[in-house]
Amino acid sequence: MHKEPSKVHTISIFTTALDQLRSSVLKMSSLAQLNLKNSIKGLLERDDDWCNNSIADDEEIDLLEMQIDHEGIEVMSRFQPVASDLREVISSIKIGANIERVADQAVNIARRARKLNEHPQLPELHLLDRPIRLALTMFDDAVRSFAERNATLAVELKSRDKELDQLNRELTDVLINRMQDDSANLPSYLNLIFISRCLERIGDHACNIAEDIVFAVSAQDIRHPSKQQ
Amino acid sequence: MTTEASQHPLELTNDFAPGESNFIKVDNFKFFYGKKEALHGINLEIPSRKVTAFIGPSGCGKSTLLRNFNRMNELIPGVHHEGDITIHGTSIYDPSVEIIALRRRIGMVFQKSNPFPMSIFENIVYPLRIAGQNTRSVLEETVERCLRSAALWDEVKDRLHDSALGLSGGQMQRLCIARAVASRPEILLMDEPCSALDPIATAKVEELIIELKKDFTIVIVTHNMQQASRVSELTAFFYLGNLVEFDNTRKIFTNPSMKQTEEYITGRFG
Amino acid sequence: MTSTATHSDKNFFSADGKGTSVFRLFRNRFLTGLCVALSLLTLVPLFSIVILVIQNGCPLLSANLFTQLPPAPGMDGGGFGNAILGTLVMVGISLVFSVPLGILAAIFVNEYAPVSWLASAVRFVAKLLTGIPSIICGVFAFAAVVMTTHKFSALAGGIALAILILPTILLTAEQALLGVPYAFREASFGVGATPFQTIWRIVLPEAMPAIMTGVMLAVARAAGETAPVLFTALFSQNWIKGIMEPTASLSVLIYNFASLPYAYHIKLAWSASLVLVALVTLSNILAQVIFAPKHR
Repeated sequence: MHKEPSKVHTISIFTTALDQLRSSVLKMSSLAQLNLKNSIKGLLERDDDWCNNSIADDEEIDLLEMQIDHEGIEVMSRFQPVASDLREVISSIKIGANIERVADQAVNIARRARKLNEHPQLPELHLLDRPIRLALTMFDDAVRSFAERNATLAVELKSRDKELDQLNRELTDVLINRMQDDSANLPSYLNLIFISRCLERIGDHACNIAEDIVFAVSAQDIRHPSKQQ
Repeated sequence: MTTEASQHPLELTNDFAPGESNFIKVDNFKFFYGKKEALHGINLEIPSRKVTAFIGPSGCGKSTLLRNFNRMNELIPGVHHEGDITIHGTSIYDPSVEIIALRRRIGMVFQKSNPFPMSIFENIVYPLRIAGQNTRSVLEETVERCLRSAALWDEVKDRLHDSALGLSGGQMQRLCIARAVASRPEILLMDEPCSALDPIATAKVEELIIELKKDFTIVIVTHNMQQASRVSELTAFFYLGNLVEFDNTRKIFTNPSMKQTEEYITGRFG
Repeated sequence: MTSTATHSDKNFFSADGKGTSVFRLFRNRFLTGLCVALSLLTLVPLFSIVILVIQNGCPLLSANLFTQLPPAPGMDGGGFGNAILGTLVMVGISLVFSVPLGILAAIFVNEYAPVSWLASAVRFVAKLLTGIPSIICGVFAFAAVVMTTHKFSALAGGIALAILILPTILLTAEQALLGVPYAFREASFGVGATPFQTIWRIVLPEAMPAIMTGVMLAVARAAGETAPVLFTALFSQNWIKGIMEPTASLSVLIYNFASLPYAYHIKLAWSASLVLVALVTLSNILAQVIFAPKHR
């Protein structure tokens, strides 16, 4: 599985450019992790400051996404990478796009959290604990498997995504029932449903990232297994 | 530009698997320059009407193997071989095989274009003349056919009797391709055919190679890996006289099986 | 970086401080001038010869020189038509022997078996023969032909000259063949040509101009040699009747007449010299034109 070429390129600036691209992705992912954690903190601690932090820092992530695209295109046009290098560049660009979406979901969560904070806390907020923990660990593991080039860890993410999807469906059903009983708090229930939906999307993006990592490391395409061959 | 590029990306099953049709079969082939063993037991099956690229660093044996297919290596004193090469199931070393006839069935294009110091016309009919064919109509028909298949006809049809040495570098190389197909060979061997050409002339020759594979089995040695990935269906990677990996070009350039191949094509060598 | 820093105050193109630039400039000019002067000096003997021959040879120049026989000693008038013809015949005979032999040997040595012991032997002997004094060739032909046929003859003269020029032709032909790019042979073999076809259709035509240069060099040498002819063809006051007769030649005529005490004969010798030089030059130019490469 792990057959990363040991030596560096004969053209050292090629190695440098690839390293630069890689560190941009890592920088972007740690920023996204931080933003996501800030949003969650704002939600659970009912603190608008954390939410505002997360919303403000999203701009830097957008810039980093553009920088990754730029660096990826630069590597391709200057060095015409093939094999593992080509896969690394392609997947870096795709991972960049997915991280950007994760960060967007963090912003969405922050915005919904601020709205929730305007009203008294609902006891159902703690129904989100499990999906939050799952989404956070999934994204953390996706980032870790990129940093470690660990395809095994990446493959494992797919099954956890199913669990998150299931949690989201159950939670939505519960909250819809609660909305009927407690129509006064309807906007807040709606916001909770939206947040649950955001967490589910983060799981999807973590999965996409995992798929790109598997492709980069082992050249296997694990997307849509039913539609291949 | 290429038919290859216009193929649907999901058409993976259309790819060619090695061994499907073994037109040229190399069987545990060893080759020696004097005492030095240049090829260490190569096994390889090259399919018909496909472009097969040989890649590898200088001195890896790719040219040596290519030059054995038409036994050009035997012009060098003190060489010998072990093992066998068969074409269509017949050993090229069979005593009944005439080396002259073998070379007529296998066209060869060299690294440096080498037109004879004669007219364009005489260059192309040379293979016919040495075979005793001097009928005017046959020669004229051959010149037009070959120049057309080398995509050179429109450029030179008005100056067929001018010196071939007045052509541009790219035209000269295409003239050599035209000459190589004059005796209607089945196989075309190309030894770094574009290494002395500028990018535009290179593109024309590559386009020609893709066009020619309809009629010929083409084996091309190249140092330009982009070229190998553009024109070939199959790629063989040689290193230090060994065949390291032989597979679909697409596979070699996206996910080679061998670490040495990966290191070579990604530029991590030495 | 350090070197640019230390010189940053100076002109970028100025000398680096090793010796004064004025001295180096002077030395350079002096040596260049010396080379030019020495080159001009080598031209002095060459031009003096040509000018001397033209000066002394021209006064007697007329059509009669080419059509009439030499005068008896002490007489005036006449020419050296027989000597011109004799030289042409003997050079012709020598070429008939030496050109095919030399070129074929060169082909063998260069194309067929370049690393064989036979090729090495041929090369060695040819190089040895180029240094052999021409008079030895004459003595050899005298012993081999004149003694056996009991006659001085044009044939014997031609054979003596053939031996003399054979190594020149062989070695220049080999160089000429060596000068044909290997790519041509490769291309020819590549389309299924035999070695013979390759040599005959590709290599020889390509090497021909250079081979002919060698042959012309040999012709010039053969036409000018006196010693081998003196021993073998002797001389004749009459027109050549057959190749088995003693025959006049320009070189022997010059040698003979120049040592006579008659002014007219000495003038004839000068004219003969002029004709000899002209003949050699003319045949050289002619060969260059005829065998010039067609496709360049």
